[in-house]
Amino acid sequence: MDKTILIVDDSETNRLILAEDFKEDYSIIEADGGRQAIEIINSGRQISAVFLDLMMPVVGGLDVLDEMNKSGMISRIPVFIVTAADTDSMLTKAYDLGAVDVIRKPFMRSFMKARVDNIIELYRHRENLEAVIDEKVKQIRRMNESMVTSLANIIEFRDGESGEHVKRISGLTNIILADIVANYPEYYLTEEAIEKITSASILHDVGKIAIPDSILNKPGRLTAEEFETMKLHTVKGCEILVNMTDFLDAKTYEYSYDICRHHHERWDGRGYPDGLKGDEISIWSQVVAIADVYDALISPRVYKAPYEHSTAVKMIYNGECGTFNPKVLESFNRTIGKQEEK
Amino acid sequence: MDILSELDALGVNTKEAIERLNNNSAFYIRMLGKFTAELENHPVMPYLESGDKESAVAHAHTLKGLTGNLSVTPLYKAYTEIVALLRADELEKARQLMADTLPIQSEIVACISKYNN
Repeated sequence: MDKTILIVDDSETNRLILAEDFKEDYSIIEADGGRQAIEIINSGRQISAVFLDLMMPVVGGLDVLDEMNKSGMISRIPVFIVTAADTDSMLTKAYDLGAVDVIRKPFMRSFMKARVDNIIELYRHRENLEAVIDEKVKQIRRMNESMVTSLANIIEFRDGESGEHVKRISGLTNIILADIVANYPEYYLTEEAIEKITSASILHDVGKIAIPDSILNKPGRLTAEEFETMKLHTVKGCEILVNMTDFLDAKTYEYSYDICRHHHERWDGRGYPDGLKGDEISIWSQVVAIADVYDALISPRVYKAPYEHSTAVKMIYNGECGTFNPKVLESFNRTIGKQEEK
Repeated sequence: MDILSELDALGVNTKEAIERLNNNSAFYIRMLGKFTAELENHPVMPYLESGDKESAVAHAHTLKGLTGNLSVTPLYKAYTEIVALLRADELEKARQLMADTLPIQSEIVACISKYNN
């Protein structure tokens, strides 16, 4: 027997009479007042239905309904009001508070049992469906995430990297953003936003797939003309993202698009492709930009050896890799800059 | 005479109540025992006399439900009326009806107690 009914009535006789009709198919828990009922409902015990007397001393039935609304339990557990039929205004209130049906005293067995069974079955069915849908949504999200990550990895393999760069960028982005949230509330970043920006950041270089090998993997400095082609990876990335809207939720898509296009912009307006200046550049693109520069400095390239951590931090701080927002620079310094040499 | 016919003679509709309780007359008689005990927890008269309308309604309402479920018809009718009178602010009429009801209530309680002991 896995179904349980909670009977709330200050009269023991009434509780026993109700229990008599349901004890064959259900486990029965009794509460002799509203306070005890609330405790049982909030205890996390699985309850299939509540039979609730409205008129009880101290904590009444409407108070129990109020509490179930606050805790959200009202949408998960059907509540039947048990009443002698003279309290219509209270009944209206009870329905307003989410009660599903009324059991009138004196009880009419034949209807009562069938109605209660049906509604409990409906609620169980709905809950099962919700669980199935939740699982499917999670599955789809996992699939999308792994598709996006795979795509980012493929691009890196072409680049001669192993997928580590993408992971590092999203890690660095996440750490710097956490500091920005703590110190600069003016950017209004929520937990959810940070999570989405972090996963959007892995697509920042997706446009590199459209850059010829001869330029992407050239073992030496790029000519001015080659560099112009290389710069196109920002706008090309956006063109690719436009076709990926099915994999990304609306907000992640927005972040990805913005980061893809603007992670090479600089605070003083000397970046590319749009030459945005100052806070014209979104805070998330600014953060990915500094993370990207730092990671490029400490990584080996065909044309250079990796810099030491402390050297890389100093170079960024001294403005050798372009100008950054002083606030972002401080956050970078407080988080990544303070890390020990690996 | 057995308890059921004695109660019937006092106006209790035992047949209706037993049907309501899945034709389980033993359960019904047990519930009548509980009911007499609960009557003591829900005194109405003292509140009517002290003018505490809220408490009087609360207790009378509980007894109305209880007597209805057990088809103790004379008391069910009385408590239904008392609740209605109190809601209409007719405190004195409610007190009078309660006073008229107490003797039959005592008779019914005495009958149940006799057999339950």
